[in-house]
Amino acid sequence: MDTSNKRLIQRLMSRIPIKMLRTTLGKWGRLTEVQLKSMNLTQSKWALTEKLIAICEENELEVKHLTELEMIYIIDNPNQGMWHTFQLMDPEDDAQSVELTQFKEQFKSHIRELVRQVSVKMKKHTDEAVWIRIAWGDAFSRPNHLKPTYVVHHLQTPYVFVTSLTAKQKPLLSQALVLSTRHQAIKDANLSGRKLTAIRDLMMRQYQQVFPTKYPSPLTEHNPTVSNPHIGREQAEPAANRLQMACEAFGGGMLPQLQSAVYKLETKFRDQTNKTMTEREEPFKCVVKFASTNLLESLRNCASSGRNYFVITDNGPGPSSKTDQPQN
Amino acid sequence: MSVLNPFSKLPGLNTANILLVESEEQFQQSLADALVEETAATVNVRLAKSLPLPLENEEDRPRIDLVAFIINLTSELSFQSAEASLKFLDPGYFLGKVCFMVTNARNTAVPTERLDAVRKLAASLHCPLLFAEDQTPDGVTNATERLLSILKVAAGLVPMTTALYLSSLTRCTVPPDIDQPSFD
Repeated sequence: MDTSNKRLIQRLMSRIPIKMLRTTLGKWGRLTEVQLKSMNLTQSKWALTEKLIAICEENELEVKHLTELEMIYIIDNPNQGMWHTFQLMDPEDDAQSVELTQFKEQFKSHIRELVRQVSVKMKKHTDEAVWIRIAWGDAFSRPNHLKPTYVVHHLQTPYVFVTSLTAKQKPLLSQALVLSTRHQAIKDANLSGRKLTAIRDLMMRQYQQVFPTKYPSPLTEHNPTVSNPHIGREQAEPAANRLQMACEAFGGGMLPQLQSAVYKLETKFRDQTNKTMTEREEPFKCVVKFASTNLLESLRNCASSGRNYFVITDNGPGPSSKTDQPQN
Repeated sequence: MSVLNPFSKLPGLNTANILLVESEEQFQQSLADALVEETAATVNVRLAKSLPLPLENEEDRPRIDLVAFIINLTSELSFQSAEASLKFLDPGYFLGKVCFMVTNARNTAVPTERLDAVRKLAASLHCPLLFAEDQTPDGVTNATERLLSILKVAAGLVPMTTALYLSSLTRCTVPPDIDQPSFD
């Protein structure tokens, strides 16, 4: 087996944790029962890699088979790497009727027109998502399978999620996507994250949504913090109102797990004692970043407990302390 | 102006009632959960964000034996809210039925003037000043124990001791050099 294929297997094995190995290899289906059993999972990764290389040589597997394995692993574990969202704009009249085979053929032919040496693999997942793996080459070299780009697109939606795409490859991919989905343009949707499932749920609104109702039900049963009869709240109504407002904004169920939100802010300086700064013509341009393990959940918690005031100090990058503002 | 009065209602048998006032409504919840665990007497906890208390609760509210103001030293708003709430207490409370509890005293972001201001306030009102650590369960337990000692006296559950007597021993004092610059 040539070195590039060996390197591909080594890279794959370093990505796949040992506990996922059996299931992933099983799904791949290119190993016989005997060969699968012969992979002793108590050995070190290095030993397992050598074993896998030997088995692949035995089965005379080629690059296209190996990339299948990578794709299977990534599809089952999509919450790694950095995913970026794009949105297709201005659909043509027949954009709604683009179906799978047509999309596949069109995408492959467009990308091959744009890039001579490219390897494209497309797979439709059970949840209606089309997964595309692209290994890019150029006029002088074969496709590089060690740095593939993954694209996820749900047909008939304008959203495309992409990972591992360089600036050079971006216009080529954009062109191929726009033409094969019958739209006129594609733009950056400004939503990126490690968890594909979270950004996908957010974009496609697959979270528990709140619909405005005319007669909202009283939330007395939603306040589990005061269960002890010996504890009485004096100002229970504002707390219940805040909880109600938080639920109206964020919904009552599980929220997609976002890690950070970055906002661009243009603001004017406001301090009566500093005339030179307040009299500046141009506004100040800043970037505000909110970061958390689960950003939307933290914000919902802040809203329901009345903490809606953030103070920025210069201890470090970003907000590092907060004070409270009574919310009436 | 609805002022809270310490002796306008009858006390309960073997009962101690405490009002925890905290503008951030954080620490008071964990304190309340720990306070009601007390077995020697029935402890009722009322939680409020600030004073004055709503009039509609006037009927159901028991006689409050101790009012504890919880001030988060990292927040100026917390201090101001507590200070503003003081005027809604009948002066009778300041004979040993009020105490101040501060959190985050060790936080480097706290300006020393704020802690000094809290100390001066507590000293001028002849109230004890307790320091608490609210982030760990041990800290909550310690704070609860100290509040309970004062509460039991204020509720009259400790023989031979009154709230006024205890406060004369435990009240906050301000060192004479408090306005001198400190070693920072």
